[in-house]
Amino acid sequence: MADNHSIQSLPLPTFAKVRYNAWQLDDMIPATETATTPFFMKNKGNGIEVSGLSTTYQHLTEAMTAQGVILMSMVQAKIDYPALLEKMIGTVITKTTDRLSAQNFAQFNTGIFVYIPENVQFDDVLHLTLNHLAASGKDLVARIFVYIGANAKADILQEIHTIGDQKSKASVVVEVIADVGAQVTYANIDAFNEQTTAYINREAEVRDHATLDWQNAEFNDGNAIIRLASQLNGEGATSHANVIGLTTKKQTQGFVTTILNRGRHTLGHIFQRGVILNRSTLVFNGIGKIIKGAQGSDAQQESRVLMLSRRARGDANPLLLIDENDVTAGHAASVGRVDEDQMYYLMSRGISEQVARKLVIRGFMGEVLAKMPTKEAQQQVVTEIDRKLKHEDESN
Amino acid sequence: MTTLKVENLHVSVAGKEILKGVNLVVNTGEIHAIMGPNGTGKSTLSQTIMGHPAYEVTQGHVTIDDQDLADMSVDQRARAGLFLAMQYPSEIQGVTNAEFMRAAINARRPEDDQMGVMSFIEKLDEKREFLSMSEEMAERYLNEGFSGGEKKRNEILQMMMIEPKIAILDEIDSGLDIDALKVVSRGVNDMRSSDFGALMITHYQRLLDYIVPDFVHVMMGGKIVKTGGAELAKKLETEGYAGLRDELGLSVQLTDEDVNSYFVED
Repeated sequence: MADNHSIQSLPLPTFAKVRYNAWQLDDMIPATETATTPFFMKNKGNGIEVSGLSTTYQHLTEAMTAQGVILMSMVQAKIDYPALLEKMIGTVITKTTDRLSAQNFAQFNTGIFVYIPENVQFDDVLHLTLNHLAASGKDLVARIFVYIGANAKADILQEIHTIGDQKSKASVVVEVIADVGAQVTYANIDAFNEQTTAYINREAEVRDHATLDWQNAEFNDGNAIIRLASQLNGEGATSHANVIGLTTKKQTQGFVTTILNRGRHTLGHIFQRGVILNRSTLVFNGIGKIIKGAQGSDAQQESRVLMLSRRARGDANPLLLIDENDVTAGHAASVGRVDEDQMYYLMSRGISEQVARKLVIRGFMGEVLAKMPTKEAQQQVVTEIDRKLKHEDESN
Repeated sequence: MTTLKVENLHVSVAGKEILKGVNLVVNTGEIHAIMGPNGTGKSTLSQTIMGHPAYEVTQGHVTIDDQDLADMSVDQRARAGLFLAMQYPSEIQGVTNAEFMRAAINARRPEDDQMGVMSFIEKLDEKREFLSMSEEMAERYLNEGFSGGEKKRNEILQMMMIEPKIAILDEIDSGLDIDALKVVSRGVNDMRSSDFGALMITHYQRLLDYIVPDFVHVMMGGKIVKTGGAELAKKLETEGYAGLRDELGLSVQLTDEDVNSYFVED
């Protein structure tokens, strides 16, 4: 690659208190596997499933197509809409941000492209599923781009899975633009398996009076660094960045969640809940940054982790960077243990300590779980939590 | 028959002795009421029986059918037949009411005889309608966003679903309007049978108009100082706790000592 040298000269992204240099995330070989049948998406309504380089499910109602909605794989979009792609990709997360994002920009060979024109309203959830076909040991390098036009409305549910058990890596970069007055929920359930080491970077640009809420559920089994960011560029732009994560066995999941208040009267709230089991590590970094001139803005953050093993390691680091006087801001962070009152309440109904503990752990993440856009997605989060906690039963 | 027996119970909270020798026997088939002024240890008694970790038994015993509760964890006590309707039930998001109640019921049943979804829903619908609770409450998260009255109803619903042998109802009447009080009382009365006993803790005689107790106990200064029938509650309503204390010649300091002096009769 021509500009490989300039990419390698960029710094690695900062994930405070997470040591990931040895993961070699800056050395990827894009996988080229394909598949023909869907893995998770069957009769899901509007949505797409991209597995490796192929599209294994794609459905968009005629009404949505007629309104100009574009929903397709990156592979197809490169063929059908090269000019649009050229104009959009890299505008939210630029190719010079850091080494890993730049590498993704240069190398991605799969992903999903969504374009929702102005005033289009999605009544149902739009499903975006991305599967890493890990049969060859090569890596997933994927880009998701979602544009939501002015005054459009969409609830997105994005999932990530690994199919196959070859040891490999993944780089997923997600860019979202919520144009003027758009109302967007971007919920995701990321569940790479133990053999996949991942870099996930999501960032949204939120324009005037638009709202973009993240519901970010991280149930990966391998090591992962996960960045989530909202740029509140427009007047009155709003973003809630809700994050839940659960780590088990020996894995590490490191998070950086950032909201940048640039426009006036913008509201950015970060809410993170993490549960740490066995010998795993989970680190939350929350960054609220208010730029000079962003008068009347509000930056709040709350990050809490639950440590459920003496050998677990966890951290919650809040950071507020404020360069404007006329603002409100606050932060709270804690590392705690299981809520004893809730345990008592559940056990007073005859529920065993083991089962009660699972329910209390789920309750700890309940605020984000409850905001998942469909009952099905909520149930899926419950299933993921139970799945991750199952290992605890076995190891006890 | 199941018997809950409290013998010479002394309990401390954070090093301070609250219960100073309580004796009480509740059998199935009986409804007991415990009344008493604020701060006298009524809730301490209920939390101690259920096994809240903050309450330390320093002397005496509580048994259920001769099993010492001291040897039993909170969930074991519940499975032995105890139930506590709490004053301040916890809220747990992400866990639905229905899932919670089914887990509670199935915790009492053997692995190979778990209650199926259909029969559970049937029973839930019946009890829920009996308590005038909406259908959507089953799928709402446990007590999350419930009003005070809804929480109380939900406690009674759980009691009706779980069917304990002995239920302790800790101020189930507090914060309820008269209609809600009637609904909650209807639930308790519906449970009345030779297989069910209850210990109701209340400040107010009013509740006892709707759930007529077999026994009324008055607690003061960490002890039961008088036991009688339903008429004892009525007497208390007119004379106040201070009147009873003076009649018994007790030297207990009451929180609201001088309240009757504001209502001077001509």
